[in-house]
Amino acid sequence: MGNKYFYAKIAFENIKKNSKTYIPYILTVILNVGMFYIVHSLSQNKNIDLMIGADTIRYFLSMGNVIIAIFSFIFLFYTNSFLMKRRNKEFGLFNILGMEKRHILKIIALETLYIMFIGIIGGILSGILLDKLMYLCIGRMFQTKVILGFYISFDSIITTIILFSVIFFFIYLRSRIQIRLSNPTELLKSSSVGEKEPRTKWLSTIIGMISLFAGYYIAITTKNPLTAFGLFFVAVICVIIGTYLLFSSGSIALLKGLKKNKNYYYQSYHFISVSGMIYRMKQNAVGLANICVLCTMVLVMISSTISLWVGIDNMIDTKYPREIVTTISQPNVQKIRQLQSVINQTLEEKNAHKKDELTYTYLTFTALNMNGSYSTDTSYFNVTSLDKIENLFFLTLDEYQKINQDQKTLKDDEVLLYTNRGEYEYSTIKLFDHKYKIKEKLDDFINNGYMASDIATSQFIVVKDEKILNELYEKQKEVYQDKASKIRYYYGFNTDKNEQENKEIYNLLLRKMGKNEFNGSIESRSEEKGGFIGLFAGLLFLGIFLSVLFMIAAILIIYYKQISEGYEDKERFEIMQKVGMDQTLVKKSIRSQILTVFLLPPVVAGIHVIFAFSFVSKILEIFGLTNIRLYALTSFVCFIIFLMMYIMIYLLTAKSYYHIVKR
Amino acid sequence: MTILEVNHLKKIYTTRFTNQQVQALKNVSFRVDKGEYVAIMGESGSGKTTLLNILASLDKPTSGEVLLNGKNIVNIKEKEISSFRRNHLGFVFQDFNLLDTFSIKDNIFLPLVLSNINHKEMEKRIQPIAKKLKIENILSKYPYEVSGGQKQRAAVARALITNPELILADEPTGALDSKSSADLLQLFNDINDLGQTIVMVTHSSRAASHASRVLFIKDGEVFHSIYKGDSTNEQMYQKISDTLTLMATGGGEYGK
Repeated sequence: MGNKYFYAKIAFENIKKNSKTYIPYILTVILNVGMFYIVHSLSQNKNIDLMIGADTIRYFLSMGNVIIAIFSFIFLFYTNSFLMKRRNKEFGLFNILGMEKRHILKIIALETLYIMFIGIIGGILSGILLDKLMYLCIGRMFQTKVILGFYISFDSIITTIILFSVIFFFIYLRSRIQIRLSNPTELLKSSSVGEKEPRTKWLSTIIGMISLFAGYYIAITTKNPLTAFGLFFVAVICVIIGTYLLFSSGSIALLKGLKKNKNYYYQSYHFISVSGMIYRMKQNAVGLANICVLCTMVLVMISSTISLWVGIDNMIDTKYPREIVTTISQPNVQKIRQLQSVINQTLEEKNAHKKDELTYTYLTFTALNMNGSYSTDTSYFNVTSLDKIENLFFLTLDEYQKINQDQKTLKDDEVLLYTNRGEYEYSTIKLFDHKYKIKEKLDDFINNGYMASDIATSQFIVVKDEKILNELYEKQKEVYQDKASKIRYYYGFNTDKNEQENKEIYNLLLRKMGKNEFNGSIESRSEEKGGFIGLFAGLLFLGIFLSVLFMIAAILIIYYKQISEGYEDKERFEIMQKVGMDQTLVKKSIRSQILTVFLLPPVVAGIHVIFAFSFVSKILEIFGLTNIRLYALTSFVCFIIFLMMYIMIYLLTAKSYYHIVKR
Repeated sequence: MTILEVNHLKKIYTTRFTNQQVQALKNVSFRVDKGEYVAIMGESGSGKTTLLNILASLDKPTSGEVLLNGKNIVNIKEKEISSFRRNHLGFVFQDFNLLDTFSIKDNIFLPLVLSNINHKEMEKRIQPIAKKLKIENILSKYPYEVSGGQKQRAAVARALITNPELILADEPTGALDSKSSADLLQLFNDINDLGQTIVMVTHSSRAASHASRVLFIKDGEVFHSIYKGDSTNEQMYQKISDTLTLMATGGGEYGK
């Protein structure tokens, strides 16, 4: 055997010898690499542009990239440090047998390199495979074509390789420091030494608290998600940092508290589980924080995308309250009559009857709300003023009375006002140098779909008569010029036909309107629905895909924890059984562990979800889901199902732990 | 009064791969009276560890019976065996078998905790024992922080704290230096003087010379036994050495 291959061989043998712990570790690496690759390649997927809210999705995916990168770093770094610590005895032996530290370091470098290669190659391959597999499965599940096609991203492969090389470089550095700082007799002893019982760390508790609450605060106070994406990302990072810090200091404080409580601690099953957890407190804390971060991601994603999916009908109904809606610009009596006759003719041909008719004339344009005074100065329109931009929607009193059948009256400088979002705080409204008094704030308005279609705030304003409407039209025309809005005539109705027939009516009407050269638009609910479903299937695909991915990650972490601890605890349980511990007690002490710490991650994840609630529901509004209750309900149901799955997974993995430790 | 009675114990192992049968114990019978201190000696492979495992109810004999206070422990149900072991036996092992996850005190408490004893009662019980074993000031330390002798004393404390009828010790001095060994053996004598029954398996003549009776096991049978009577430890040591020499040279008829 050449000396050249001596170290390479030893390194290989070392991994083989420690395969019981190294195989799960390598699987963990593969998982992290695969996870990163998949999310990164999804964010590179050009087909995302075809999806509704493409920018938002892309943004979240790139955010997901950063989160997974951080996550992988912490996770792999810590896993490795625990593995290395347990191998100290081995290194001490090498050292005593005459190997110098630099030789040991060479072996460790080679081991790290092997694992890195296996992990990265395996990870990318399984990422590609899983990508394809999930694409097929979910596509089949929903019987719809998922627009996110399968593809292999070379960009992502390169990024993945770079990221994980860096992570492994740091992992190696850490091992290096560990070996450098140690002496052989210490190395020989250290694997049996428990983690030094850490003092309750006040500093990290405080920083963790501040970080967590800062994150929560940002998430709650963010009004407009469009302007605050960057800030939200900061919030996410804050919450993650807070989670890690609080889990380490929090779980340590908790366990120490439990130990101090003698009536609790000296119960046979608590005695064993609590002491075991204290023995590897830090390791536990990181593991739990990892699980918690994954749980949070799963919960947010699955509940929001399922809400969107479940809410499709709801969204379509809000956005298209009537089956067919036509509008024409710059209406006059003749044009309106012509439109009506075309519609009547079409319906007659298709033997259909219209119902729930709604017609009115309106004007709408956008302006900046400067404390009750609306500015049309376009130079103010920029990103920072984005959440001040509001839609103004004007209707005459005449039309309002016709639709709502009521007898309200208005003077020239009086208006009625309805706001779709929040409260309008002022008693007057100033438009183009003219101040109108708000005579009444309305509780309700005509259900025309405009309210749902926009994320921005809309003011629905009823003015006295057509003269004022025309004045407003002329004034905004002066400012906006060729981008100015026109006065439009709205004509919407339902039919007594089914979806397919409605589509035919729509297509016929479309052709006829084209022929008659109407300057207007036509929309059909049935026609739009197909597109909607396709778009949301893509979102749902993403949601399920990533949730399953993170769920697998969480399962593997739990499993890994159980297996590695099982082997560590085997000897311990053997001794205890010699002293007189029976099998039922083994089981009981495992169960006691669930109640003390294993329920913490999903519960904390639940709290995170509650604080993210307002923000996420605003994001959902961008996609058109305004039904907050639906989202709340879905979140709750998802949480319950998730919790049950979590407990089941825990019990299953606990079983393998049990099989390892029992005699 | 007889506390332990072993009758015609036989143990045959079947090796896992070749199906070959190995006889570890052929026919072992002896009695231990209350307050006795019995050492069992024999070479490696003589069956003494098998015997101890059966006495400790960690293993079941192929045939024969073990009566502890008149109760046949061979027939105890699997479910009750752990609590039986906890409540009636105390163990001292060669490699201490202390748990690194527990402080010395919690290690000593372990069998009591397993029996769901109130922690105030445990505190009460540990005080005199810790004092006697001189481990009062290491109670809050962890096993990896104390010396081998201290570890073994902690293990003795763990065996004593349940007030067992019988203490079973498996090569208790095996991992100790000579000073610690001497201390531990003295300790065993002290607790024996207080009435504690001890059965110790050892191959150290020095250790065995402290016992009030020594049983020699060879080829799965009790080959010989000697009583200490009024002899000193040195005299006893001499007797044991002589017996061992005879056993090694094949003087099978000695003493019969």
